[in-house]
Amino acid sequence: MNHFLIGFAISSLFRRGAKSFFTIFIFTSLIFLLSSILFISNSIKEELFITLKSLPQITVQKLQAGRHTNIEISKIDKLLKLNGVQSAIPRIWGYYYFEKAGVNFSIVGIDSFDKQYKKSFEAIVKDVDFDELYKNNSMIVGEGVDKVLRENYYQGVFNFIKPDGELKKIKIASTFKSATALESNDIILMPKDLVLEIFGMNKNEVTDIVLEIANPEEIPTIAKKIKNLFPDSKVITNSDLRVSYQNIFDYKSGMFLALFIISAFTFFMIVYDKASGLSSEEKREIGILKALGWKIDDVLKAKFYEAFVVSFISFLVGVMLALFFVYTLQAPLLKDIFIGYSRLKPVFDLPFAFDFQTLFLLFFLTIPIYIAAIIIPSWRVASMNADEVMR
Amino acid sequence: MIECKNITKVFNQNKRNEQTALKNINLEIKSGELVVLKGASGSGKSTLLSLIAALSKPTIGEMVVDDKRVSKMPDNFTAMFRRQNIGFIFQKYNLISTLSSYENIILPTIPSNPDEIELDKRVDELLKMFDITSKKESHIKNLSGGEQQRVAIARALINNPKIIIADEPTANLDEKLSLEFIDIIKELKQQKRTIIIATHDPLFFNLDFVDRVIEMKDGQILCS
Amino acid sequence: MFLTPEIIAIYILDIIFLVFASFAFIISIMIVKKWDINSTSELQYSLEKRAILVATIIKYIFILKLPLFIFFVFTADKISGVITGAMCAAGVVNSISFGLWLFVFKILNLFIFGFWIALHVKDMQDEKLSFTKLKFSIFIVAFVLLVVEIFYEISFFSSLDVDKIVSCCGTLFSVASSSSFSLIFNIPNNVIITTFYLIFALLVFFSFLKKELPFLVINVIFFIVSLLSLILFFGTYIYELPTHHCPYCFLQREYYYVGYLLYITLFIGTFSGISGSILRMLRADYKKIFYKTSLIFNSLYVAIVTAYPIIFYIKNGVWL
Ligand SMILES: Nc1ncnc2c1ncn2[C@@H]1O[C@H](COP(=O)(O)OP(=O)(O)O)[C@@H](O)[C@H]1O
Ligand SMILES: [Mg+2]
Repeated sequence: MNHFLIGFAISSLFRRGAKSFFTIFIFTSLIFLLSSILFISNSIKEELFITLKSLPQITVQKLQAGRHTNIEISKIDKLLKLNGVQSAIPRIWGYYYFEKAGVNFSIVGIDSFDKQYKKSFEAIVKDVDFDELYKNNSMIVGEGVDKVLRENYYQGVFNFIKPDGELKKIKIASTFKSATALESNDIILMPKDLVLEIFGMNKNEVTDIVLEIANPEEIPTIAKKIKNLFPDSKVITNSDLRVSYQNIFDYKSGMFLALFIISAFTFFMIVYDKASGLSSEEKREIGILKALGWKIDDVLKAKFYEAFVVSFISFLVGVMLALFFVYTLQAPLLKDIFIGYSRLKPVFDLPFAFDFQTLFLLFFLTIPIYIAAIIIPSWRVASMNADEVMR
Repeated sequence: MIECKNITKVFNQNKRNEQTALKNINLEIKSGELVVLKGASGSGKSTLLSLIAALSKPTIGEMVVDDKRVSKMPDNFTAMFRRQNIGFIFQKYNLISTLSSYENIILPTIPSNPDEIELDKRVDELLKMFDITSKKESHIKNLSGGEQQRVAIARALINNPKIIIADEPTANLDEKLSLEFIDIIKELKQQKRTIIIATHDPLFFNLDFVDRVIEMKDGQILCS
Repeated sequence: MFLTPEIIAIYILDIIFLVFASFAFIISIMIVKKWDINSTSELQYSLEKRAILVATIIKYIFILKLPLFIFFVFTADKISGVITGAMCAAGVVNSISFGLWLFVFKILNLFIFGFWIALHVKDMQDEKLSFTKLKFSIFIVAFVLLVVEIFYEISFFSSLDVDKIVSCCGTLFSVASSSSFSLIFNIPNNVIITTFYLIFALLVFFSFLKKELPFLVINVIFFIVSLLSLILFFGTYIYELPTHHCPYCFLQREYYYVGYLLYITLFIGTFSGISGSILRMLRADYKKIFYKTSLIFNSLYVAIVTAYPIIFYIKNGVWL
């Protein structure tokens, strides 16, 4: 390490302040944009994985004409007879579109005697008296739902519109907050009978059935058996969900990265152009250095040290800004674009998710592009004829 | 010893603006000799100097310095050769105006990653020798013409080169400063350095310590 | 088709490499054809300058390729979470028919590019630049290999299929596997271990004897035998499972990333041995230090892999 050469490179950057600043500024912006995208997508993935962990191992749904319809409650007995199935729980749930706010609520039916298929609900419904809830026509809502209702002047009650057009007035018994906001912020819990009434469903039908399997290794085999038992069923295992979620998000961030490629290319061109457009002062400077005994390689080295300093500063600042933007400011604007359904879903917080692999990835996506953009211009400068200084 | 063997330099060869700057130059300069190259502007003095310093390559012919064929060496070696053997003093000083005197003086040493303490000692010595110690940290743009010239000479001497090449060194100096410069050259001559000065300043033509005055015209040597 | 951010990063770099290497390739052809160190033509001077550009490009590619290799394994490992059946990079790499070839080319190219740079450094110390033509002829070959690697890599990622169920290391690296690769499992343990230590002993011997050609050959053999013994024998002690023969899994966190240490020491050891020997055969004044470097890193490798079965034996009192 030649610290004189590094010192010279740094002083060159300072001496061409405006130009260096411009390069650092756009490089930082690029890194900032990219890190924000990656951080947001990491967060959402993290959020989803927490959610997925609490999801049922197998979900059995019924298909009719290729579409998901309600499944007969009577199928539970047959499912329970399969080896390895520990429990089968019927679920009643669905989406309620609240037109005035343009938001979807997820309504989930709960029952005092059913084993809760979701650990997260267990804690919420532990102290709730279901009979009381049913008798009083009341529900428990997530914080996000409460907020939306309040904004629309519903204090403590809400009028659901039933399929036949009648209104069903339901009181809010309490609100809850859960670990993963993405999942449960839009959730409304109420007794199953009330849900059936609001959705206008048959008493002997449920939305789907979830199974608990004793040995996770057996999940694929049991899934196959169910498919044979009920050919009209759709069997979803938790690993299916994981794959499809990961796919969706990799795909989504892939789309954004495609946009990134365009900006990276623009960046490449700008840097290339900046590095090529040398002032006569700079040319003279290189000529002097070569006359004084600098090799082409020495000039190149100085140029690369400059590039490292620029990259390092931009990387550090870009990533820091992105951390602040995503986790402290909760990524205004960008989060909405990224999630896409933000208008349909109440807001949620991005959980902190940060790993070195992402840094590694950020490095490969940015710094080599910058260095690549300066190779040829730097070489051109460094190999210029030095005898110009004699003129 | 510097030997120019049958040197021809053509710029922009085979182009419309082809220009023959030097024609069949044969010249020998012995170690420790002080040679003045005189000639009108455009006669090829600078071109010859840059060939001696291996800053450019001859179109025909060969440049040999201390038995090394510098005209055929690759960039790595010519740069090393210049760094170790040649001190340059240019007409326009060719200092980097946004750097300090100190930073300018150490420029030729940077690629060889010098020892900092020794380097500082050497720089202080030179600053003292040229009476610019107080200007060590000043930026070049804040120095007077004479001071700049002295910084440029200090820079040329930092690596203690055997050969000093000066191209129109007094062109931008007034009479007093020019005479001062001549004193410095005399000093360097006494140190047994080989010195080549390209100039059309008559001050140089009748100095007793100049070994030879070589006149150039249209890229050729007239008489020596 | 599969588009994770990691894959996009690899694609972008592949394209940059391809563009720059093509530049370098064209210049290399000109140099091989027209280079004449004694000429004073403008052409020769400009070729000398361009040679420096090519060297810069190759350094750029090589310096990025080193960490990219690890990044590639990382990426394959990450994708294994999505591909059914794959548990580590092995499953992903082998889910494509030419996956193994991609790996072979990656390693080969690292060796060649590394050697090129070593040759270049030597060349730059020579006033006559006498290796320049050789250097650029080698690059012409290296370019073709690089293009093949990049082609493989791009088609590798674009033919990954999420819905296909693949078999992972457990079956791939086992006696029962039907691939031609599984033939190596017919080698008995004691044969491979004896060969391994024997070759290593020879390597030590020749590194003291300082004879280039045998040292070169022995390093190549040592590299291959090391990989085989790692899969067949030493790996099982890293996993403490007699049936687990995967050469990728120990790159994961569960095994403290020891795989990186192993591969890096083995690479440096054999690379310095091979390139040093070749360079010394080309020029007698090449420094002999490479014997030491090679010996130290190869010994380090041997020490690490040997430690695993021994520690296992001390802890459990039996061999696997
Ligand atoms: N880089 C160059 N390109 C083209 N022509 C040049 C170049 N350098 C010098 N010349 C020409 O060569 C001739 C000699 O120039 P030069 O050596 O600078 O003369 P002097 O130093 O005696 O004034 C001039 O005609 C000049 O125009
Ligand atoms: Mg001139």
